[in-house]
Amino acid sequence: MSSTLREPRIPDAKLGPSKIIVWDPFVRLFHWLLVACVLVALATSLILPITWLGWHLVAGLAALALVTARIAWGLLGSTYARFSTFLRAPRTLLAHLSELRQGRAHRHRGHNPLGGVMILVLIALVIAIGVTGAFALGGAFKMGPFAYATSFIAGRTAWSIHQWLAYALMALILLHIGGAIYESRRTKENLVRAMLDGRKEARREDITAPPRQPYPGLAAGIVAIGLLGTAAVVAIMTGRPVPGVPNQPLDKIYAQECGACHVAYHPSLLAAATWNAIMDGLAHHFGENAELEAATAQSIRAYLVANAAEHYDTLAAHAFLKQDPAEPLRITATPFWTRRHASIPPLVFSSKAVGNGGQCDACHQDASTGRYSPFSIAIPHGSFQ
Amino acid sequence: MQMHKSLSAAFTVIAVSLLSSLVALAAVGTAQQAVIDHYAAAAKTTDPGFKGFSVDRGRAFFLAKHDANADTPSCSTCHTADPRQAGQTRVGKAIDPMAVSVNPQRFTDLDKVELWFRRNCNTVLGRECTAMEKGDYVTFMANQ
Repeated sequence: MSSTLREPRIPDAKLGPSKIIVWDPFVRLFHWLLVACVLVALATSLILPITWLGWHLVAGLAALALVTARIAWGLLGSTYARFSTFLRAPRTLLAHLSELRQGRAHRHRGHNPLGGVMILVLIALVIAIGVTGAFALGGAFKMGPFAYATSFIAGRTAWSIHQWLAYALMALILLHIGGAIYESRRTKENLVRAMLDGRKEARREDITAPPRQPYPGLAAGIVAIGLLGTAAVVAIMTGRPVPGVPNQPLDKIYAQECGACHVAYHPSLLAAATWNAIMDGLAHHFGENAELEAATAQSIRAYLVANAAEHYDTLAAHAFLKQDPAEPLRITATPFWTRRHASIPPLVFSSKAVGNGGQCDACHQDASTGRYSPFSIAIPHGSFQ
Repeated sequence: MQMHKSLSAAFTVIAVSLLSSLVALAAVGTAQQAVIDHYAAAAKTTDPGFKGFSVDRGRAFFLAKHDANADTPSCSTCHTADPRQAGQTRVGKAIDPMAVSVNPQRFTDLDKVELWFRRNCNTVLGRECTAMEKGDYVTFMANQ
């Protein structure tokens, strides 16, 4: 039984079994670069704060470009890079499985049928994660190619799917590693090492594929044209005007009167009803008297209500609608604010450079625009001391 | 000869410092003076024996602690004990200095002065301030 799995050893031990290149340099480079992209994407979403979003996007875009190139190489690459050598009919797949169970499965020189399915699913998952990520970016942050056409709610749904697909990817990666270890043991050859140097032993009983001619020039050309074309379309889509995003400067009277004591919070941060409640209670405004001249108060109220959260579709316009029942008017008491700022040490807020959690513009450089982009966050130097 | 020289230098120093303190006293700008005059007129109507505002009373009022609001017991809670320094609101936003010598725009617009007295007196003292308190306060700041 096990004799069918092993090539007869060449008597002269110094020569060892002959090794041949099975994984060409592109396949190996693709594999390990994709590993790097996935690790960066995971680290920048699960461990590091949102200010690393830029690197998360770089990792995602690179993964998409890599997978695109891999698909082209799967059609035009070297023998064992080709889909045709490892994507098998379900019948063959089931046969391979039952052979494995019976312990009489032959070794495939390239990917076995099970590994082939894994590669296809991993590629499909990476694409799906990239696309849902782009929709999430468009809907929630109003950035990227889909910003002009994606509502916040749709973006939030896409983000949720993006997240679950990423968990599925992690599970499949574990399965993939498990499969590689299992097959390494079963065939007595280190497959991880083979993915590094490309070499596998050429055994007589291996299931091999007929040699195929690679077309690297053609593949590179197609990928280059495809990626450039996509980049152009993405640039055009990204440049389209995005509805639901505030684009007017703050009202002068509002900024002057309310901004005298605290940040002039963008009107889109709170619902009209909340603004009305705040304007009704200026005599007891968070522990201070902040009454205004009647005419000034009226004009400020009108401005706030006309530009309240209901009129925008940004993250900031959705984030604070859920209030803290004990302090419904305080933004820094909302569940969203508390959750999002939980990882920042209290020392930062009490530092001289920040002063207080309500001083949004100490860190959010675009606070006055109501955008609150993850790319505009800069915690002041020295506030950690 | 030497003696004479140092004597005249000393006189010059004394004269200059006297002059400059006179200038300082007279330096209450016309806009601030108009605000002070407004409060003087108001103080006279409530107190016929009114004899003018006092820098010292203004300073004492500025530094006094009240118990209407635990977060803001005094004017100096936010403005700091030195009106020539910048202050800070309770949420950490900077307040320009109150002393007219550092910030000549202070107390030049009666409406603005009234607005802030109404707010801050209600916050710190739990009531409106009297014309006497306001006049002393502005006089103190105008001479800082």
